[in-house]
Amino acid sequence: MNITINHEKISERKTDSGENLLEIKNLKTYYPIKGGFFRRTLGHVKAVDNVSFEIKKGETFGLVGESGCGKSTTGRTILRLLDPTDGQIVFDGNDITNLTGAKLREARKDFQMVFQDPYASLNPMQMVGDIISEPIKNYYPRKKSKEIKTEVMDLLERVGLPSDAYYKYAHEFSGGQRQRIGIARALALKPKLIVADEPVSALDVSVQSQVLNLLKELQDDFDLTYLFIAHDLSVVKHMSDRIGVMYLGNLVEVADKHSIYDEPLHPYTQALISAIPEPDPDKKKERIVLQGDVPSPSNPPSGCPFHTRCPLAKEECSEIKPQLKEVKQNHRVACILYD
Amino acid sequence: MEVLTEKNTKQTPSKPPKSMSPWAIARRKFVRNKLAMVSSFFLLTVMIMSFLAPYITTIDITRVNIGQMSLPPSGEHWLGTDKSGRDVFVRLLYGGRVSLTVGIAATALIVVFGTVIGSIAGYFGGVVDSVLMRFTDFILNFPFLVFVIVLNAILFGKLSGVWVLIVVISVLGWGGVARLVRSKILSEKENEYILAAISIGCKPSKVIIKHLLPNVLSTIIVQATILFATMIVAESGLSYLGFGVPTEVPSWGNMLSTSRDPDVMQNMPWTWIPPAVVLTLTILSINFIGEGIKDALNPKSYR
Ligand SMILES: Nc1ncnc2c1ncn2[C@@H]1O[C@H](COP(=O)(O)OP(=O)(O)O)[C@@H](O)[C@H]1O
Ligand SMILES: [Mg+2]
Repeated sequence: MNITINHEKISERKTDSGENLLEIKNLKTYYPIKGGFFRRTLGHVKAVDNVSFEIKKGETFGLVGESGCGKSTTGRTILRLLDPTDGQIVFDGNDITNLTGAKLREARKDFQMVFQDPYASLNPMQMVGDIISEPIKNYYPRKKSKEIKTEVMDLLERVGLPSDAYYKYAHEFSGGQRQRIGIARALALKPKLIVADEPVSALDVSVQSQVLNLLKELQDDFDLTYLFIAHDLSVVKHMSDRIGVMYLGNLVEVADKHSIYDEPLHPYTQALISAIPEPDPDKKKERIVLQGDVPSPSNPPSGCPFHTRCPLAKEECSEIKPQLKEVKQNHRVACILYD
Repeated sequence: MEVLTEKNTKQTPSKPPKSMSPWAIARRKFVRNKLAMVSSFFLLTVMIMSFLAPYITTIDITRVNIGQMSLPPSGEHWLGTDKSGRDVFVRLLYGGRVSLTVGIAATALIVVFGTVIGSIAGYFGGVVDSVLMRFTDFILNFPFLVFVIVLNAILFGKLSGVWVLIVVISVLGWGGVARLVRSKILSEKENEYILAAISIGCKPSKVIIKHLLPNVLSTIIVQATILFATMIVAESGLSYLGFGVPTEVPSWGNMLSTSRDPDVMQNMPWTWIPPAVVLTLTILSINFIGEGIKDALNPKSYR
């Protein structure tokens, strides 16, 4: 896939400080498996099983991994749309792990989400104007409706939608335009963090780069920090400053973009990188093909979650679960090979 | 880029014109459905005539007129008179008032109660869901007729006759709606727009009322039409058996129940054929309207 991105824009922007906007520590989110006559809990899908990372103010943190590895669950738990089973979420210096009710609602103002499915993420019964103004009305009930409308019109223009979209319904728009509506809704409260959960994976390839470029532009204009989720490494490469690689609910490697692509350390990351098609035919590289299937998150393997498919697995790998460790500067990996 | 221009809006005449809400589109489809429109017209006529009965006729419905007993239809009494000398046409109008009141009121109560219980159970899930659904199962498994007879006896004298029946039917009738709404909400809340609503700061009550209910309302409306027909039949059935509306109050069911007398059944068909016909046509038209609404609200059905 070819993505054209305004490269000047990216290099211009610098992550302004080393300050963390978000820190998550040992995050776990399990889904109960109910069954049997009394609908007892029979087990758990360990969708997120011990994930720790931090996102600095102003940066884009890319989260990659195969479908089903727990990326969406991680994103939703961070935004407290799901309740964490264990661990800690610190947003902008405040522990939001156990917030509930009105306090949680108040906190939500600062972190929003752009969803994966442009069809299911917009209420079919609402007009676009209502969809985008609803967050403002929720938090600023005394704001004059004229003022809100002006804001919404600005947002529409900002995300590249015509102003007459205000009175239309979502079903009248294409996937790409719907995604723009979703982006405008997420922006309405001027949040600090936006979790973008595979925001372009459901779109036509021709529209993908437009939406990605829009997200990039908005990041500068609105001083946004992104958690950018994707299963496609080339998309993540263009968007992210730092990247985290997930496998079966675990974060296996975290580093800045260049380290991940140029010298991946974890065998899983190496396999993923080797699978990216190389546009330059001279730079032939060897593709690492993984054996077997991803194990079930309801019954993950003992020890290292990747050992069942790892080409470099040793005997200890099935016994010891490696923890994420800094092995180079700003490069963390969870693998026994680097202990 | 995919910006809508004046031009490409006009190039697609097959699609509905721009800016129609899903409801407006459904309304248009419904209006084009002839059977549903004829049924609506019929039902509306029956309703208007029934509820305006006191303005249409000045004949006293309760007065027993000894001189005019058991008369066949004539110019003076369009549908004849019954054994007590009461005008059948007038009773039909007043009877419709009672039967339709029972149907509308019971349906409204059942839909409101069932929707509240079902949406709370479906949205919150967990313990709330378990408790509410146990309660619903209990109600659903209750022996209906026994309860009707007992409650009728308890409430008798405390509420006016017709309302006893409405309350009794409603108290026992909401279980099905609650189950249906719960299951609809359960599947609807999986959509990402619900997560979005929570994320933009909607309280649970707002998520349910503003986001979930409008999207399951089509199912509820269709269910309500079925219920409406069922409730009218229930009124007639119970009244026929003698457990419904008090006998002195005219209702279609009570009028039908006079045909239990073999003499009336055989020799005075003008007293029970009209309520039977009106009842049947009313039920049929409600069903056609329900089908029409279902088609109109189904995005996949194109006519
Ligand atoms: N509501 C749910 N109930 C049970 N299991 C779920 C639920 N949502 C996701 N899962 C499971 O959790 C795992 C991670 O899912 P998800 O976070 O959606 O992965 P990703 O976004 O990386 O594709 C998958 O195995 C998925 O089947
Ligand atoms: Mg996902």
